[in-house]
Amino acid sequence: MEEQHTQEPEYEIRCAECGANLIVGEHLLTARCPYCASTSVVERERSSDRPRPTFIVPFTWGADRARDRIKRWIGNRGAFAPRAFREAAIEGLRGVYVPAWLYGAVGAADYSASIGENYTRVETYTTTDSKGNTVTRTRVRTYTEWRSLTGRYQGWMVDFLVSASEGLRNEELEAVEPFDLRGLRRYDPRLLAGWIAEEASVDRTACMGDARGEAETRLGRSISAFMPGDSHRNLRYAAEFSEETAALVLLPVWIGSARYGADEEQVRILMNGQSGEVVGSVPKSWMKILALVLAVLVGLPLLLMGCASVFGLVFA
Amino acid sequence: MTRSACSRCGTATEVGDLRCAICAEPTPAKAAEVEVQPTMLLRCTGCSAALSHEADQEGHACGFCGEPLELEESADPLESVDATLPFTVDGAAAKAALQSWLGEQSFFQPSDLKASARIDSLRPLWWVAWCFDADALMSWAADSEVGSRESEWAPHSGEVMLRFEDVIVSASRGLTGAETRALESSYELVTAGDELEVPDGALQEEFDVQRSAARARVQAALRHIGAARLEREEVPGVRCRNLHFEPLLRSLETRRLAFPAWVLAYRYRDELYRVVISGQDAECVRGKAPFSFAKLLLVVGLVICAVLLMGLVGALISFG
Repeated sequence: MEEQHTQEPEYEIRCAECGANLIVGEHLLTARCPYCASTSVVERERSSDRPRPTFIVPFTWGADRARDRIKRWIGNRGAFAPRAFREAAIEGLRGVYVPAWLYGAVGAADYSASIGENYTRVETYTTTDSKGNTVTRTRVRTYTEWRSLTGRYQGWMVDFLVSASEGLRNEELEAVEPFDLRGLRRYDPRLLAGWIAEEASVDRTACMGDARGEAETRLGRSISAFMPGDSHRNLRYAAEFSEETAALVLLPVWIGSARYGADEEQVRILMNGQSGEVVGSVPKSWMKILALVLAVLVGLPLLLMGCASVFGLVFA
Repeated sequence: MTRSACSRCGTATEVGDLRCAICAEPTPAKAAEVEVQPTMLLRCTGCSAALSHEADQEGHACGFCGEPLELEESADPLESVDATLPFTVDGAAAKAALQSWLGEQSFFQPSDLKASARIDSLRPLWWVAWCFDADALMSWAADSEVGSRESEWAPHSGEVMLRFEDVIVSASRGLTGAETRALESSYELVTAGDELEVPDGALQEEFDVQRSAARARVQAALRHIGAARLEREEVPGVRCRNLHFEPLLRSLETRRLAFPAWVLAYRYRDELYRVVISGQDAECVRGKAPFSFAKLLLVVGLVICAVLLMGLVGALISFG
C-alpha cells in the first residue's frame, strides 16, 4: 500500500446514483460517473479495508482505436436499427478497470441416471404389395433398454469470472466476456495510470453465490456429457464445491453511450478492452419492422398466386 | 531452477507462474519476479528441430537430417533442459549395433544389405522430452459387455486413484514419434544429472515449446495414457465404448530431460537411410531399411502360381 502513495495521488469517488466506488488519478477526476453518466458524484476518503486485486488484465485497445471500433459497430447495426442510431454520437467513453472475482473449486457430484442402451431386432410382418397380394417381409427395429447407473464425478473447475462491481452487473460482464486469461498480469498499481479503476463493491459472499451458480451450470453440462450409453434420462445429481478459491482481478472495459435521434435517446455501449468485442442493446425501429411484416403479409400470397398460375400454365 | 509447490493441489509451480497450471490457484507474489531472457537457438531448415546455439556450430548441418541450420531468436519463455542422461554406448558400439541390426533384417530386405551398406555419418545427440509424475483421482463412466441383457452394452461407472510415474512425452522435432517411442524404455532415468562427458561433436536438441503449450501437451498425454489404463484396468470386461473420464490431478511434477542417442545414416545404392540407436542400450535400434521389390514380386508370383496349380489339380480331379 505504501508504494501507491509514492505514485501519483489517487482519489476515490462514489456515484450516488449507481453506487460505484472508483479510484482515479488527479487528472481524471470527473463530475460524471463513467457507468451511468450521473452527475451525483462525490469524492470520499480512500478506504483501506477493501480487498486488494491480485491480477489485472491490461487494456489492449486505446481510446482512439476503441472509439473507431465502436463507431463502426454502431454503423453496422442491421436493417432494423433506426437510421438516426447509425449516426449516433459516442459520449462519455471511458476505459474502466472493472473488478471481478476469478473463482475456482473442485466440483463434485453424486449422480444417478437411466442410461439408454440401444439394440436391434429383426421382425417379420405381413403387408399387401402393389398388386394386392399379401406378402411377408422383414424389417430391423431399434429398441432402447433403460439401465440405472449411479456414480460420482469430480474435477477441477476453474476460470469463472463474476462481477464485483456495482456499476457493471454480472449479466453485462458476461456479455463482454470472454477475456483471454493468458493475458493475466500480477496486479501493480502502476498499470492503473491513466485509467479509472473501480473498487470491489459487491459483497464477496454474494459474488461467491453467483460464481457457484455458474460453476453448477457448467458442472451439469459436464455430467450430462459424461453419461455413457446411447441416450440418458432422469439425470439427478447433487453438486458440491470444495477447495474454493477466489482472486480479485481487474478487467478492462470501455464504457460509453450512444446518443441518437431528435429525442436524444441513450443506449449504453460496452466494449471488451482486451478483445475489442462490442455489446449494447440496439434499439429497433418499429416502423421498419411493421413495414417488413406488411410486406410479407401482402407479398407472400401474391408470390404463391404467381407460382400457382405458372404451374397451372405448365401442367394445363 | 527454483521450484515450489501449489498450496492447493501440490503441483510444481515455476518462477514466473501466476497461477497453478492444474487448479488455477494464484501463486504467492515474489518480491522480485525474474525477467525472462531471450533465447538464441539454431533452427533446422529441413526438419525444424531446434538445437542449442553454440557459436562454432553456426552454418553446420542438422544432426537429425543433415539440412542447414539458421540462427533464430525467441523472446517467449522457452522450456529448457533440467537434467541430461549420459551416454553409455560409444561410437564403436553404435556402429557394431548397426551392423548386427542390418544382418537381422527380414526376408523382404535386399540380400546384399549388410555387405553393401556404407555408414555415411554417425552423430551423438541428445533429444528432449518431458517426464512426468502425477496422482489423478479418475472418475469414469463407460459401456461394456459385462452385465448386459437385451442390448449388448451395459453402463458402468467408478472412481479410482491412478499414479503416473516417469511418463515420457517426446518434445523432439528431429526424431519421429515412432523413433522416440522405440527408444523410451531403453533409458535408466536415475542416471540423469548435470555433469557428464560429452562425446565429440555431440548435439543438444532444445525444447522449442512455450511453457503453456508444454503443459497442454503433458496434460494431453496424461489423458491419453489415463484413458488406456482405465480401459485396461478399470472398465470390466473386454469390450468398451463411450469411455468418459475426468482426472482430478494432484502433485503433477514435470522434468525436462535430454536423452542420448546415436543417429546414423547409411547409404545403400545411393539412397540414404536413417537409424537411431539408444545412447544407453545398443540393443535398442530403430531405423529404416531398403525394401526389395524384386523379392516381393517373386513371392506374389509364387503365390499366384500355387493358386493356379491348385485350381488345375482340383479341376483334373473333378473331371477325372
